[in-house]
Amino acid sequence: MTGLGPVSSIGTGAAAFAAALRAGASGASPITGFDATGFPYRNAGEVRDFDPRAHLRRLDPARWGRSGQFAASAARLAVADGGLDPDRIDPARAHAVIGTTSGESAVAEALTEQVVGGGFPAQDPELVARLPAHRLANAVSEELGLRGESLTVATACAAGNYAIGYAYDLLVSGEADVVLAGGADSVCRWAHAGFYRLGALTESRCSPFDRDRSGILTGEGGAVLLLETFEHAEARGARIHAELLGYGMNCDARHAVAPDGASVAECMRLAHRNSGVRPEDVDYVCAHGTGTPTNDLVEGRAILEVFGTEPPPVSSIKSMIGHTMGAAGGFGAIACVLAIAEGFLPPTINWANQDPDLVGIDVVPNQARRARVRVAQNDAFAFGGNNAIVMLGAVA
Amino acid sequence: MVITGWSAVTAAGIGAEALARRVADPASAGRGVVVDGLSDVPLPAPTGHALPGFDVRAELGRKGTSWYDRTTALAVVCCRDALRSAGAPAGGDDTARIGVALGTTLGSHKSVSDYTRETLVQERPYWVNPALFPTTVMNCAAGQVAIRLGLRGVNATLAGGPLAFLNALRYADTVIGRGYADVMLTGAAEEYAPHRAWAAHHTGTTANVPLGEAAAVFVLAAAGEGVTGPRVLAVATGYAPGGGAAAGQALGGCVARVLRRADVDPAGVSAVFTGEADSRDTREFDAVTRVLGRAPERVLAKPMFGECDAASGAVALAVALSRADTGQVLLTAVGADGAVGAALVEVGA
Repeated sequence: MTGLGPVSSIGTGAAAFAAALRAGASGASPITGFDATGFPYRNAGEVRDFDPRAHLRRLDPARWGRSGQFAASAARLAVADGGLDPDRIDPARAHAVIGTTSGESAVAEALTEQVVGGGFPAQDPELVARLPAHRLANAVSEELGLRGESLTVATACAAGNYAIGYAYDLLVSGEADVVLAGGADSVCRWAHAGFYRLGALTESRCSPFDRDRSGILTGEGGAVLLLETFEHAEARGARIHAELLGYGMNCDARHAVAPDGASVAECMRLAHRNSGVRPEDVDYVCAHGTGTPTNDLVEGRAILEVFGTEPPPVSSIKSMIGHTMGAAGGFGAIACVLAIAEGFLPPTINWANQDPDLVGIDVVPNQARRARVRVAQNDAFAFGGNNAIVMLGAVA
Repeated sequence: MVITGWSAVTAAGIGAEALARRVADPASAGRGVVVDGLSDVPLPAPTGHALPGFDVRAELGRKGTSWYDRTTALAVVCCRDALRSAGAPAGGDDTARIGVALGTTLGSHKSVSDYTRETLVQERPYWVNPALFPTTVMNCAAGQVAIRLGLRGVNATLAGGPLAFLNALRYADTVIGRGYADVMLTGAAEEYAPHRAWAAHHTGTTANVPLGEAAAVFVLAAAGEGVTGPRVLAVATGYAPGGGAAAGQALGGCVARVLRRADVDPAGVSAVFTGEADSRDTREFDAVTRVLGRAPERVLAKPMFGECDAASGAVALAVALSRADTGQVLLTAVGADGAVGAALVEVGA
């Protein structure tokens, strides 16, 4: 893992994002991405200062949706952070893999407004062309001139980790020298309404693992990592932030929205086994930690089951950036890489009260902490029971 | 990978036999059937290659299906039938080792748009139906397949539009090859709905062929002793920045790659199943003939089954398996931007 490209509500670029994680910054703000009038809760983790033109060199933002712009901008930042000139690599061995929950949701909503206003014939064909979800990965391939696979993984809120996992497979199986992998999503009305009606939305602050946690804060952004084979990174003298050790995936096959504890625990064991890691090797868990009563209870208990009564520190960066959906796995992975490379644990902010059901879980409350992190675990779970956990390690 | 079973839900009906009848008599497809029963608003075309009589309750019962969108319903029914046709799954019956890889364009466009519509037209923007919220995520269909059939292995949804099925095949190949699962139900689904019909109308993809709906799913297992069936020999996808003529070049590169990977003599390729809508469009076929150095038979699935977007490639493979061909055939696809892909499949005995 040689380059980091976060475009987030608490900072854009590796340095700004790392500083914000250390400071325990909050990206929550009143929604501007859509008209939130009439919604009881009107905060989200929006990327207020997003200016695609500041990042994109080849992509014309006018032809691409907001999520594609997030993905391409994050990818451009990742190669810059990694000191990689994409014009000097073998483009056929360079791939783009991007996870997403809602794809070009802002485009879909603009089109629906046109339909509500004037019927289906009134839709703008240019906007329709920006709608397909595969354009997220295509935006990255187009921006960086990559000729390898261009794959959008649509496994909801675990998609970012699926993307990083698939990148791992491309690298270790000899298909790739370079992969840009991560996720992107945009804040949208339908998700805000749906989570509210599920009773899963918090009013203003996201407080994962707190006794009185009340739900998620919807978020957005792009989170892309530059991954290379060790040989490729070494040959060009790249600075290696961390090593991708492997990953595990499974499916609850039980419920459309409620997570299953046994399945989540099994996914952790799969991830450890596939990565050659023992539970006692893990120094930090970057939790899925959405801030809903159910997720955090299920995830916390699974951690206690897998790691025993003294698990490694567990924190949720969703307390800071909200739930960025398909980008969440990507942001979690970036946080893990920073934890390993810079020696600190990102905090769980907005934490006040110990949950009596989660005794033993150290959530790194409110303040970042210095720590030596050799192995980190990045959790991501999704509607549909899709679980994916990525393991990262310090360079051996 | 070996295809140990498969099924399809298409405009021709539910199951492989219905599909085979249409393949044997392509003229029976015509311009499709009257589709106004599938929409409460005017449609851009009066007919399409749809299955208006498809009733998920008749197939799966009422329990747990009332909130399904059409994409999910098509996918679940098709996966059930594909798994049945495979009999006892080759590679074992451990459900934690059986996974799903489904291709899509954006899930159910109708589900997403209808949900947004409610936030705009209701008295309160949050007066939406929470029970329908899961249909707004693109992995709804794959998740329900897992729940309905009890499949706990790797469960993936790949958004690729025209490339989606080849993306899913490629993903499944990796999952099985890397040992994450033994069996992968691999396919794609698209529903007939006014949202898709109008989107296709606006972008021109149905200018020369009616819109279609379909699900087609293949049960894939690693090749090994006692595992018999047609074989997916190799899959390759790529991207041509800028698209256009560069996409033809890139597609040729994918075709060359699958032939090389499978170590197959180009002279042995008997047919190519392209994503082209009609015989006048030769962009994919030209790329294939350039690489092969000759023109194999070209088979177009879309005139028979319509523009099925993400499911087009899956329907094309179903057509290939329905014919009496033997030897190797190619599947190709090209996206609207620069995405390209090809698969090489050994059909027949």
